[in-house]
Amino acid sequence: MVESIVSTGLAIGCIYALIGITYNVMYSASRVFSFTAGTLGMLGGILGALFIARMGMPVAAGFLLALAGGALFGLVTEIVAVRPVLKSLDQHLYVLSTLALALMVQQFTAIEWGTEARPFPRLIDIPRGGFDQQFWLPMLACAVVIVGLELLHRRTLVGRAFLAIAEDTYAARALGLPERRLRMASFALAGVIGALAGFAGGQMLLAFFGNAPLLTFYGFVPVALGGMGNNRGAVVAGLLLGLFQQTANFLVGGIFASVAVFTVFILVLLVRPEGLAGGVTPRRV
Amino acid sequence: MTLTRRQALVSAGAAAFASGLAKPAIAAKDPIQVGYLPALTGPSSSTGIGINRGIQLAVQELNAAGGIDGRQIELITRDTQSDPTKAVNGAAELTRGQKVSVVFGPVNSGESLAVVPLLARTNTPQVHPCWVDTLTDPKKYPMCFRNAPTNQQIGAAANRYVVNILKKKKVAVISDTTGYGTASVNAYVPMLKGMGADIVYQGNVDAANPDLKPELLRMQSAGTEAIMPWSVNAGFLSRIINTRGQMGWDVPIVGQTTLGSGQTKDLLEKLDYWAKVYPNNFRPVCYQSDGQLTDRTREFLDRLKSAKIDIGDTLLWWIAIGYDSPRMIAEAMKNAGTEPQQIVGYLNKLKGFAGVFGDISFTPEQHDGYPDEQVVMVEANSLKDGAFRLAPGYGA
Amino acid sequence: MSQLRLSRSELPGTRFTFGVALPLLALLVVGLTFPLFGGGYWGVIATRACIYWVLVAGLNLVVGFAGQIAIGWVALLTLGAYTASVLTAGNVMPPLHPYLALAIAGVVGAVFGLIIGLPALRLRTFYFAITTLGFATIVTQVALAWQSVTGGGVGVPGPILPEPFYSQWGFYYFCLALAAICTWMTANIAASRFGRALTAIRDADVAAEACGISKPALLAMVFLFSGAVAGVAGGLFASLQSYITPDAFTIDLSVLFFIAILIGGQGSILGPLLGTLLLTVLPEFSAPLVAWSTFLYAALLLVIVLAIPGGIAELLDFKNRRPLESGRAIMPRPELLSRLLGTAKGRSALTLDGVSLSFGALRAVDELDLKIEPAQVHGLIGPNGSGKTTTLNIISGYYAPQRGAVRMNGAALPVLAPAQRAHVRIARTFQTPRIVGSASVLENVMIGATIDGMGTFVESLLSLPRHRRDETMLRERAMQALAAVGLERLAEVRADRLQHSELRFTEIARALTLRPAFLLLDEPAAGLSANEIAQLSALLAAIARAGTGVLLVEHHAELIFDVCDRVTVLNLGRKLAAGTPAEIRSHREVVDAYLGA
Repeated sequence: MVESIVSTGLAIGCIYALIGITYNVMYSASRVFSFTAGTLGMLGGILGALFIARMGMPVAAGFLLALAGGALFGLVTEIVAVRPVLKSLDQHLYVLSTLALALMVQQFTAIEWGTEARPFPRLIDIPRGGFDQQFWLPMLACAVVIVGLELLHRRTLVGRAFLAIAEDTYAARALGLPERRLRMASFALAGVIGALAGFAGGQMLLAFFGNAPLLTFYGFVPVALGGMGNNRGAVVAGLLLGLFQQTANFLVGGIFASVAVFTVFILVLLVRPEGLAGGVTPRRV
Repeated sequence: MTLTRRQALVSAGAAAFASGLAKPAIAAKDPIQVGYLPALTGPSSSTGIGINRGIQLAVQELNAAGGIDGRQIELITRDTQSDPTKAVNGAAELTRGQKVSVVFGPVNSGESLAVVPLLARTNTPQVHPCWVDTLTDPKKYPMCFRNAPTNQQIGAAANRYVVNILKKKKVAVISDTTGYGTASVNAYVPMLKGMGADIVYQGNVDAANPDLKPELLRMQSAGTEAIMPWSVNAGFLSRIINTRGQMGWDVPIVGQTTLGSGQTKDLLEKLDYWAKVYPNNFRPVCYQSDGQLTDRTREFLDRLKSAKIDIGDTLLWWIAIGYDSPRMIAEAMKNAGTEPQQIVGYLNKLKGFAGVFGDISFTPEQHDGYPDEQVVMVEANSLKDGAFRLAPGYGA
Repeated sequence: MSQLRLSRSELPGTRFTFGVALPLLALLVVGLTFPLFGGGYWGVIATRACIYWVLVAGLNLVVGFAGQIAIGWVALLTLGAYTASVLTAGNVMPPLHPYLALAIAGVVGAVFGLIIGLPALRLRTFYFAITTLGFATIVTQVALAWQSVTGGGVGVPGPILPEPFYSQWGFYYFCLALAAICTWMTANIAASRFGRALTAIRDADVAAEACGISKPALLAMVFLFSGAVAGVAGGLFASLQSYITPDAFTIDLSVLFFIAILIGGQGSILGPLLGTLLLTVLPEFSAPLVAWSTFLYAALLLVIVLAIPGGIAELLDFKNRRPLESGRAIMPRPELLSRLLGTAKGRSALTLDGVSLSFGALRAVDELDLKIEPAQVHGLIGPNGSGKTTTLNIISGYYAPQRGAVRMNGAALPVLAPAQRAHVRIARTFQTPRIVGSASVLENVMIGATIDGMGTFVESLLSLPRHRRDETMLRERAMQALAAVGLERLAEVRADRLQHSELRFTEIARALTLRPAFLLLDEPAAGLSANEIAQLSALLAAIARAGTGVLLVEHHAELIFDVCDRVTVLNLGRKLAAGTPAEIRSHREVVDAYLGA
């Protein structure tokens, strides 16, 4: 029982954390929270099932294509829904434009792919053990992304440029950094991470259009609680959320688990609007 | 505006029975309009899609055979998208805009709950295949008939199978959180208790919950001897079956007919897991003890095949209901007339309408037309051509 | 043409006048005569549109006016629907009369509107959007789980209204009447100080605070109202559906409500009304469209956001497409000020006693003493980063000094309470003008005296006499202020069409409308031409003559020495010198550190 809570809770938590990081990567580059973060997760699962199960591609090819699809949608998000409204960030138009884009993709998927959850293929042909690939694949994906981002930020010039943009967009532009290209790269990267979350979690969540709103909400909880732009906070909060949700599933079951998650989310936010990890309110005047 | 919309609907509905058929001599008479409210898109559309294939075939055949006294049957279709608000709009259009003689549908309970009282207010005869018990009431809705089993009948058959045939006493009843699921659990638990079973687990679980192991572990530790899931969600049902398989637990799963659908099958991790899964089904559309279908059903299956209607991705009984419904309505109209009172008067005395899906009878006091004994349980993994073998213990 | 002429005599949007009401009345006439040419089926669609509008009208104040991104408002429709249904079904308690049940649905809606809405006070935009979505999910889940009351997934029958509202057209007229009342009420609010305050919160929240607008109190009232009408709409919805189950309350429906407002245009009543009609009726025209409807709504939203942020309302705003007169000059008439401001009332000075504030290691303001006398212009100068604007922000309550206090009449002013400053008659302007671009210049200026209205929110809703007196008073005062700063000819123009210098004078007019005892100006001359600076100088002198103490933060030395009675020079947060302009001009250190540069 405890073992089941922990393995499922951590696996789901890793998916939430990855979607949280997806939010963060987009936010750092543009100061925009995008409703498309969960959509990316959904696309990862559906593209994986489409390429591997339906079109019969090898797992590796399907994996790369699914990630490429995520990157492409990330770019589309940047071009269609983010760049045009960046000028008026304080009007929060991005909330509307990204919501519109997310709804369009979700509805398109519902009609073209169907509203039923469809199976996601087993990726590695090994016998099922107690600790199955559907649990450790999301964890592995999460670990890879964390380590990868650390390396990117510390070891590469591009990564440092990302950090500079995240720190202060205007200053970065003044330094002559190609802000627009870095932003596009960030959105492509976010697309890859989001699609990876959906792909790695595909065996748990299935290829289902309804995963988009689900992940948009549960993936945002780690961002809100961990502090925006804070990837470490997102991972910790994501894992806690997964464990909490799974424990609530065990203890109170079904409906009340989601009510419990939501209540905790609201209460924490009302007490600490900047998240548990803290932060400062920006200057208004 | 009404005109163009109507034309669009007619052409959509009539596309199936268009060209190659010989036109009957008296086709000049006005067609008879039959309203039809399927859910062809949206989250619970798989039933509607199956039923739709039967309906289209039946209307095509009826019209090819001359319609009703030379009048063609014209299906006025309005897709409800599995959304009750769209179903209400659709019902209003059919009854107030198009003034149809009779309505078949909606085919999902959530939509019917809203539409049945509305049709009763416009005095439109209605036939629907939805299971929720309250969806017929000869006093409140004297023109509404059900040509399918009620939830009560469905549950009773499953409960009888678990308690009387499998002789299991410790039962776990689980559903998703939809209306259908929760209502079923509420109705069946007291029935099971009345039969002497011991409910060791009872729960409603969000169908989107990716991990059902907690629930199954709870069932197992409570000593469950049979799991009875009530849900139309293939993803949810397959998770129950998969989790049982992963746990290496051979407890029988007895319940909703979707347990045996192709979509559930697609979501299984191993086909072996489908063993000892016994969904509801209906005796007339099952393989009998000799492994054959009844003559009536085999004939129907052949007709489906020759009409090139796909049955691989749906269930035979859905198509059968769809096929029977317009034929039953047509019989009433042929024999009594097309006025609402005439249709209702005929249906009120209908006795043993020989449908593929089952023999339907109504009385003025009883508008649930499906016979109890034709609701049975089957072996899920015997699925072939949309039909199943009876579960072990029947008729042997 | 007649429309153009008609609107010329109007003060746009400031009154719920005939010109504003004309299209709404035309729609009402169509609605009243609808049964004559619409079939029974279209009657159902029209009834649905009316019910949706009852909800959207209220939500419009939240989304369109206050700018709060409340996506999950279907939660309140659900609550209202279940409340009305359960109370009339009698499955929990003896059945109530349907009208009473509808009223209770409104009360329940109001309470939950407040609960769902209030996080908006604490949370950022996106966070709030997500929480409203969460609420929508939770309410449906609870409806499913709480079977003994809601019937779970099987649902409950909706309320049935007695005759004469039982029949289809009877019920339609009932819904139409409620829709018309909601339109009238929200239009009243839109044209009241509350409506203007809401747009100020949306587009210029800092300025709204400086004008004394209390965001929590105002939003609470709006959420209560919006929740109440959504609850009533829920009851009507349940009645129309005849039977409700949780699956009738989809997120798609919520999205429809939300998008209807944005397609219609923020800050408009007519636009969202047309948007609601469009989105309700459009899918009925063609069956294939139905399946794609949400996709089309979303696409429409994207197009609106990217291409026409003003929505339908902007497309219909013919008046503001007429070109403005070019080469127009601002001609202040300072002589009008005494009528607006009255005469000196023997006020005491505004003083800063030993005020200090550091940001980290940076001492922004250090042991600063300052005394701003009534009827004088006090200049505050110094190089960039010397703490001028910080001082101004401390006085107006945005920053809390770590030591020292700001006093008026001997009493220390509360810290971190900028909305309190207007009540002690301290008004201010901003370095970058903070203006509601979509509102007219006059409306912007009227915002300045919001706190002087006497009527309550409810009085404005119902357009009671006190509300109308308030409006007359505010309009008169704002027109006086506009005339004094020389902008009265632009009163009806959308503020975002003005030139930069005009915006500066608009802000001053807005501050003057408060009849301030003290006026704080943050670099008002920045970006003005020499001629405009001269006008400004005369204006400031007249303001001081009328008894108002002016604190002028400015770089422009000529203006300072021309108009100030006293000047304080700051450097690195400390007072470097203080005195008359003549003394400062000859102060060695000042000349070295600042003026000489």
